[in-house]
Amino acid sequence: MQIETALLVGLLFAVSVYLLLHKSFVRILFGFVTLTNATNLFLISMSGDPDGKRAPILAEGSGPIVDPLPQALVLTAIVIGFGLTIYLIMLLYRIFLDAKTTDASKLFLPEADDE
Amino acid sequence: MNNLLVLPFLLPVLTAVICCLFVGRPGVGRRVFIAISAAAQCALAFYLAVRAFHEPPLVLLMGGWAPPLGVVLVVDGLAAIMLCLSTVVALACILFSYAEIPVWAEQPLRLPLMQLLVAGINLSFLTGDLFNLFVAFEIMLVASYALLTLEANDRHIKEAFPYLAVNMFGSALFLVAAGLAYSVFGTLNLADISRRAEAMQGDFGVMVVAVLLVVVFGIKAGVFPLYYWLPNSYPILPFSLGAFYSGMLTKVGIYVLLRTFGTVFPHNLTQLYTALAWLAGLTMVLAVLGAVSRNFIRGILSFHIVSQIGYMILAIGFFTPLAIAACIFYVIHHIIVKSSLFLIGGTAMFYNRTDNLARMGGLLKASPILATCFIIQAFSLAGVPPLSGFWGKYAIILVGLEEHRYWLVVAALVASVLTLVSMLKIWMGAFWQKLPADGTADPEAPAAARTMTAIVCALTLISLAIGFGAEFFFGIAQTAATSLLDPAQYREAVFSLTGKGGQ
Repeated sequence: MQIETALLVGLLFAVSVYLLLHKSFVRILFGFVTLTNATNLFLISMSGDPDGKRAPILAEGSGPIVDPLPQALVLTAIVIGFGLTIYLIMLLYRIFLDAKTTDASKLFLPEADDE
Repeated sequence: MNNLLVLPFLLPVLTAVICCLFVGRPGVGRRVFIAISAAAQCALAFYLAVRAFHEPPLVLLMGGWAPPLGVVLVVDGLAAIMLCLSTVVALACILFSYAEIPVWAEQPLRLPLMQLLVAGINLSFLTGDLFNLFVAFEIMLVASYALLTLEANDRHIKEAFPYLAVNMFGSALFLVAAGLAYSVFGTLNLADISRRAEAMQGDFGVMVVAVLLVVVFGIKAGVFPLYYWLPNSYPILPFSLGAFYSGMLTKVGIYVLLRTFGTVFPHNLTQLYTALAWLAGLTMVLAVLGAVSRNFIRGILSFHIVSQIGYMILAIGFFTPLAIAACIFYVIHHIIVKSSLFLIGGTAMFYNRTDNLARMGGLLKASPILATCFIIQAFSLAGVPPLSGFWGKYAIILVGLEEHRYWLVVAALVASVLTLVSMLKIWMGAFWQKLPADGTADPEAPAAARTMTAIVCALTLISLAIGFGAEFFFGIAQTAATSLLDPAQYREAVFSLTGKGGQ
């Protein structure tokens, strides 16, 4: 499980950085979504190798359990990432309404009243 | 009575919630309520500071869980200083915004969001837990994203996007760093991390976590090569908010760097300190060149933030007890001076109706008091003795000479001279030159302009007091630095308390 997770996290980070470096704000948004997922996966993988371990519910018998703390952390991280994604979508929508484009190279043209 | 420690976070949150739920509409009553709340936070911060300097670090166990199980809040000397600064600047900016905008034109969400921003900043000073620090950063950043785009116009809103993208990337890295720290140290409590890191000295894992945290807080503080988001996004803010952002937001990054290097990690990461010092040198010089190239007040001042950050990081990079004390002193000086310069810019804009230097002028005649305040603060920022900026720079350069880091000293001096050049550019453009034919130097509301000038004067007096009472303030900074660099004291304060689930 460990090596596959590590490869997947690496792949997700690569895809998200590739997307974040684009000019189009829509791609940056998708880059951010991928980035939060990559981070969350990384965080949950910090509980170690889950093979042969139970879910951390103490009432259901004994034996080795997976470390529950990263799961608690990842819940917080998911909520924060979700909120930020919604915020970015709304901002993008506003930029699109204003400028009718989401391409940064067309948005950043200097204007006459630029200060 | 340590329950008081939660109040610097709780008071602004409650104020924001009450404002949103019960008093949704802007009005005079709501303004008075928020001002009283800000003043109360200020008084509380000073009370905590007095206690923190006379007692060992104050600790509160959240939910009564024994460390390292629960989240702890810790106030030591440095945290107390930062709390005082953030509440004072917040109060000044809130009062300034009352004069800047009439009640009918106020955005209803602006003041509640500003209170949430204060809450996030205060929580990051208070917390003694790495993941809680992440949450505090997110509260602060989400509030700052919302405020940045709340009143931005069509053209400005595009400038906000790089700020968002860079900071969100930084937050994701922070989360990775926190996860990695948990897997390396097996804990997220800062005191516990410091105990285990001491036992793991020289371990590769410690270095990886430290480097990741430096990258994260370097991004937040605006260190070269990742600073370009800052000087373009701050100018889109109204001046009263710009003053608060420029004073506090980047300094949270500096505070956390001080905390992680001083208290959490063992003091032997020499290569990392050297790398930080060189990055700081580049930051100082390149950012101040940016400031010289700008031609409007907010742009010049925003580049200066980055340049001044360079001095603080340089002091951290030298990493001697005197350098850390100098860094803390510099933070005290910088927050007050930078915020007041932004507010002076706001007042100047109120007179001239623009902050483009080509179209400003005549302010020396229109408001001699404002001009005096500006020249004092500008010289202070550049480091002219005996003003507050001189003492911080003097100590940092002294350490640099002692450590034989001559190139970095040269960079600091060059940046200082160029700071003066760009400040004189504002002085010539806005205050000295005659008013252009199409310009105006009469404020629409003279009473509001007088209030603004009074607030600016008060901040200038504080900064003068720091300059002339440098011995007292440097003493405070040294006390804070000594306790910051003594992890044993921090650990003892945290682990001496018992609670639920104790070992």
